[in-house]
Amino acid sequence: MSFLYPLFLAGIAAVGLPILLHMIRRHTRRRVAFSSLMFLRTTVPRFKNRKRLEHLPLLILRCLAVALLACAFSRPFFSRPPVEGRIRVGRRIVLLVDTSASMRRASLWAQAIRQAQAILNDAKSMDRVCVMTFDRDVRTLTGFDQWEVMNPGRRASTALRGLSECSPSWAGTDLGHALIVAAEAIEEDEANDVQRPIGSRQVVLIGDMQKGTDLGALAAYEWPAGMDVAVKAIPCVGRTNAAPQWVANRTPWSASDQAHPGGIRITNSSDASTEHFQVTWADDGSAGRPQQTQAVYVPPGQGTVLGVPAEVEPSSIRKVVLTGDDHDFDNTLYMAPEAPRQVNILYLGADDPNDTDDMLYYVRQAFDADHDAASRVSCHRGNETLTGEALDRAHFVIVTDVIDSAGLASLRQYLESGRTALLVMKSAEAAATLSGLTGIDLPKCEEAEVDRYAMLGRMELAHPLLMPFSDPRFGNFTRVHIWKYRRANVTDYPGAQVLAWFDSNDPAWFEVAVGKGTLLVWTCGWHPADSDLALSSKFVPLLHSALEYGGRRVRSKSQYAVGDVVPVSAWTTSGVDALTIRKPDDSVVHLDAAQQTFTQTDFPGIYTVTSSAGSDVFAVNLSPRECLTDPMPIENLESLGISLKSPSHLAGEGFRQATQRVGPAEMESQQKLWRWVIVTTLVLLLIEIWLGGRLTGPRPVPEG
Amino acid sequence: MELRAKAIVEGFWKGIHQSPYHGFSVEFTEYRQYAFGDDPRYIDWRVYARSDRFYIKKFQDETNLRCHLLVDHSRSMGYGSGPYTKSQYAGTLAATLAYFLFTQGDAVGLATFDDRIRQYMPPRNRPSYLRRLMLTLEARPQGGATDLGPPLQHLAQMVTKRGLVVLISDLLTSIDRLETDLAYLCAGGHDVVVFEVLDPAELDFEFDSPAWFDDMESGRDMYVDPSTVQRDYRNSLTDHLSRVKAICRRLGVDYHLFATDRPFDLALLDFLQHRMQRRRRIRRRHGPRTGGTG
Repeated sequence: MSFLYPLFLAGIAAVGLPILLHMIRRHTRRRVAFSSLMFLRTTVPRFKNRKRLEHLPLLILRCLAVALLACAFSRPFFSRPPVEGRIRVGRRIVLLVDTSASMRRASLWAQAIRQAQAILNDAKSMDRVCVMTFDRDVRTLTGFDQWEVMNPGRRASTALRGLSECSPSWAGTDLGHALIVAAEAIEEDEANDVQRPIGSRQVVLIGDMQKGTDLGALAAYEWPAGMDVAVKAIPCVGRTNAAPQWVANRTPWSASDQAHPGGIRITNSSDASTEHFQVTWADDGSAGRPQQTQAVYVPPGQGTVLGVPAEVEPSSIRKVVLTGDDHDFDNTLYMAPEAPRQVNILYLGADDPNDTDDMLYYVRQAFDADHDAASRVSCHRGNETLTGEALDRAHFVIVTDVIDSAGLASLRQYLESGRTALLVMKSAEAAATLSGLTGIDLPKCEEAEVDRYAMLGRMELAHPLLMPFSDPRFGNFTRVHIWKYRRANVTDYPGAQVLAWFDSNDPAWFEVAVGKGTLLVWTCGWHPADSDLALSSKFVPLLHSALEYGGRRVRSKSQYAVGDVVPVSAWTTSGVDALTIRKPDDSVVHLDAAQQTFTQTDFPGIYTVTSSAGSDVFAVNLSPRECLTDPMPIENLESLGISLKSPSHLAGEGFRQATQRVGPAEMESQQKLWRWVIVTTLVLLLIEIWLGGRLTGPRPVPEG
Repeated sequence: MELRAKAIVEGFWKGIHQSPYHGFSVEFTEYRQYAFGDDPRYIDWRVYARSDRFYIKKFQDETNLRCHLLVDHSRSMGYGSGPYTKSQYAGTLAATLAYFLFTQGDAVGLATFDDRIRQYMPPRNRPSYLRRLMLTLEARPQGGATDLGPPLQHLAQMVTKRGLVVLISDLLTSIDRLETDLAYLCAGGHDVVVFEVLDPAELDFEFDSPAWFDDMESGRDMYVDPSTVQRDYRNSLTDHLSRVKAICRRLGVDYHLFATDRPFDLALLDFLQHRMQRRRRIRRRHGPRTGGTG
């Protein structure tokens, strides 16, 4: 027998301790509670000198326990003669199976299952296998630990059963992310199970290895050394794959003439054998017209852009279906018209809309210039009566003038209902408007004395209003010069939050909560008399950000890819408590007002959003990259630092050349004799307790 | 506690009890001329008819016995080598007496003390009050060290009407001022009875092996070999008890020593027989009196 840490054997010297304790002189420790010691006198204790050992069995047991404990700490093991030759060590294998939409082609999925079955059947009992599927996300079907606890004879079949229950999704392929997750899973398993000798580390990738695979994540990842990737690319029978795709920033409803090119692109795979396809424009059936079919010629590896035929009502189109290629998984493009939302902005001020010295001129330029004409700025002069109807129609209010008490009351009611308004303090008198709207007097407001010009200093870029400028590229406001502003002391103003300060530390922009709503206050205007903000590139985004902060967007996206997160803020305006989203399979998802996003864009189709304010639609399509089904050169992975191995090399793995004897630590780790020594020690101690109780007899009942 | 007291009292009731009810009566003391401010209800109209003067009658109400049980709740009373601690024994003794006196129609009060009076219940004669009294007696001793002086002086000041004062304690404290303190009560006209309750282990000190003895009151400890100190202990205790007895004898205070291994009914019987003998002696000396039970 050998010991891993023989130094601990010195602890056997502690055997003398029980002997010493047996020999030591001692006197009674018995204590008796007594009512009063007033009639007692103390006695000199008589010590008991134990010159001979008593209770010898007890002593032997205690000595043995100490000796065994020291032995356990020294980690004993039985030495074995060195084994020369090849020894088997376990492999760690992550089986990555592609479940992206492109795997829906022909029999790719069935082939993938067969490949996975071969790999799983080849796994040896010492191997640790993890089965994952991936598309845009990665899912673990069988973890390393699950594999370990399974019956070795049934591991492959159990893991394969879990894989067979899966099917290709409609999402895109993010292979880079999947490989990183697989590599990290192996490294994590190694860290968690350090006892197991490290064998080879492999990621076996089964998929169609299409050109549209996203490898971007690997560019910023250092692939672990010694981790191999074996790619089992599944060939596809049909090579021609054409697909319609949405062209961003081009409206598809314009005619396909030279002046207005259309917005549907038809692409064809580079190795296609067919060049002629048909495109069918399917509408919602409201007009009762027959579907229009159009012939399209697309050479291999090229694309063409189509517009809507003149016979088709553009706003009624719901999908474009392509036929004539070998694979139809990506042949349907769903379309939802971007219905521009009317945004009414109410400007309360006596400005001339055509006077470049007034603020209204720039507001109109910022909003009315929108090419969809979705926003409309209506002006309300100070001498006119502000009606509740005008306020009800307004999605955003800009106040630049002092308004009367009736108007203040209406506007305050507007704010308390949860809306947002912007108050621009053109003069110190605007403090009265602020006090009227918030119900709290502003302690001090006066015209600030500005030396030449002031600039914006500190800004709360984390605030939603200024969030668009949080990127350092856009957050430079130093070119904005302010000639005049109003100094408002809001330090002690209840509910005020300053969003931006001038370089003189006076608040420039701040917000005050009024009921459920918010009042944004700017202490300087954007007209030339106050500042050159209106001439800055920040002005339009800032006004749109203020509008969006009030819960309204001029334009909203209506086209998404599978797996995208859809923000629902465009539909959750004030007064809307809940949303109902009907998916293409007629399942319904209910979202309450607190939920900001919709994440269940699982498959392509038209999604209908219904709220108390009305209904709207948005379209979800395949990721355009997923339609690029040309084979990807495997060398692309090597160029990203990944060590590739051929699949045939896998069978030869799992052995390691044992050129030296197995180390003592490894032998001790395999035998773990210390556990049995500890158990024996515990048994001895239990016997000692029992024997001790027997020999010393029952403890006398305390007298008292 | 109530059931235990009831069982003890009813156990010997048939043998010794004669008549617990002596009736409520008033004892006329004197006439006094009416003065302005006196209650006209007490004007004796017969005297007025006789003498044409307004006189009022003065009475001394002679009620049944008012008994104060003064029970030691110091920590040393928590000692007990047998089935009962001294506190439990003293509590049962007090409860038995209270029940006994209640059945006679007497009013019983209770004061628990250690170095001062901790709880005081004035004498009453209501069944619900008896229950409260029993609950107080059942409480475990929570006090500190015994000091008889302040409680006895305090009680002498509080209780102005004469009655029976029963002191139940182990008296394991300095008795240098015991005579003075008991004298306060006796001077107040109270009939004082002292029950000293001791554990058999305290009386004999028959411990078999040396040990560290912890004083329950002071927390002080002392290594004691009983075989060495037993004789001295007994002598000291006997001397202490003799001094207490002598003090009581000098003051005319009834003194009884109870060991906690002695049955309650026998202990109570001893006490009552002693009281009856004493009463007969007093009657022979002073002639019969009306009313009261004493």
